[in-house]
Amino acid sequence: MTESNVPVIELRHVDKHFGTLHVLKDISLSVNRGEVVVIIGPSGSGKSTLCRTVNRLETIDSGEILIEGVPIPPEGKKLAAMRRQIGMVFQSFNLFAHMTILENVVAAPRSILKQNKKDARAEALRLLERVGVADQKDKVPAQLSGGQQQRAAIARALAMHPKAMLFDEPTSALDPEMIGEVLSVMTELAGEGMTMLIVTHEMNFARRVADRVIFMDGGAIVEENTPEEFFAHPQSQRAKDFLSSISEH
Amino acid sequence: MKNPSIRDILYEPPGPKARRRIGITTAAALLLIAGLIYLIIRQFAENGQLDARYWSFFGRATTWRFLGEGLLSTVEAALTGALIAFAVGFVLMRGRLNRFAVIRFVSAAIIEFTRGVPTLLFIYLFFLVVPQTGWELSSFWKITLPCAISACGVVAEALRSGVNAVPKGQREAALSLGFGEIRLFYQILFPQAIRFVIPSLIAELVIVLKDTTFASVVSYADLMQNAKVLISNYDAMLSVYLVVAVIYILINYLLNKLSEYLARRMNRGAEGRTS
Repeated sequence: MTESNVPVIELRHVDKHFGTLHVLKDISLSVNRGEVVVIIGPSGSGKSTLCRTVNRLETIDSGEILIEGVPIPPEGKKLAAMRRQIGMVFQSFNLFAHMTILENVVAAPRSILKQNKKDARAEALRLLERVGVADQKDKVPAQLSGGQQQRAAIARALAMHPKAMLFDEPTSALDPEMIGEVLSVMTELAGEGMTMLIVTHEMNFARRVADRVIFMDGGAIVEENTPEEFFAHPQSQRAKDFLSSISEH
Repeated sequence: MKNPSIRDILYEPPGPKARRRIGITTAAALLLIAGLIYLIIRQFAENGQLDARYWSFFGRATTWRFLGEGLLSTVEAALTGALIAFAVGFVLMRGRLNRFAVIRFVSAAIIEFTRGVPTLLFIYLFFLVVPQTGWELSSFWKITLPCAISACGVVAEALRSGVNAVPKGQREAALSLGFGEIRLFYQILFPQAIRFVIPSLIAELVIVLKDTTFASVVSYADLMQNAKVLISNYDAMLSVYLVVAVIYILINYLLNKLSEYLARRMNRGAEGRTS
């Protein structure tokens, strides 16, 4: 099969406007199987929007987005079926507030994949164990720390056995002491070969874990390089300015 | 953790001077209230309202059985009305949030209509107009249906505000997991929405219960109607109305307590840590 040569996520000439604001300018990028791509850039550069277009939480004006070579369906059951193959982790965790942690992880496999109760539960417990919050399984999200909630949210996404994972600034809403625990779960995931597209401000994490770094500014991809090259020798002035502005503190 | 009372939110803790002032005001207010009550009772006594003949029939079991039957009918009509209002309100809310503009418009129109027209007018509609079409309803439905119709628009709007109050991230998380619109609504949005609006729904139940006192218009034997029978039998307006008022207050007080209890139970553990 030639399937493995097809990128898991591919964007071709994607454009998007918010009113008069051109938020995504002719974006083309691809994420191959097992690859970890990190998008960085100043706030307002369009990186979150880009991440959210991949599972159509944001629509696009023109261009194409393909998952394993298949264009994203515009609506309905086909769109839902595509979305469940792409896990997503949000800045604000978004765990279901009325469910316990275990119910959060079990809900989608049970009602969408029609897994039986016992299997779904066993799998959920295994995943919660893996991200280190199994002991919190019977609490509701509001009783957990942000770091615990985010790890549970990662477990919830993994329970659908996604082909790729999107991370939209997963540590930006966390207290500093909790960032590490979330990043280490993500590092582990990358080590296991998960295909990941990550929007983050954590430069050290990007340097360590990324296969490729994409630098965005003003809605466009300005640079795309290996982390070693990008952080050592940024090509554009904008990337240089950005890197020096964040290394100042 | 104890929930802060409104006073704690609005004012800082009182100092020694303020505490003395609060003490004096409280004592004065209590004296004033006691005086008023004394005046009222004296007025009643002078007019003979405290005479045994106005009160003695409350010592008979038949009086209480009669009032009890009325109360049961009131509760029956109010609960049935509330259930219908909830069902219809739910449908209207779904319509109001529908993707098709026509359905949204029609639902909004029905909601505005039912909210804008007084309950008594709906009762006259069922009492006077509907029978002319040859559709003869029992007195139970003549009071229950108007009360339900009058409440359903309010219920629809309460439910809608609850659905809108669910943070947008909940919807996005569910969509990203592959939930379709229907499962998203029934598994994620609605269960959270209902928690937000339980107090408004119970407040509306209290209104439905109070609306059923119009039952005498259609001669349905509710608490109020039976009270009127007692009044004409014993010529004892004040004592009967007083007792009936206390019964209504007790029921509605219990409903409000239930509302507080439900709100507390559903939010258990949901407050507290943020990050």
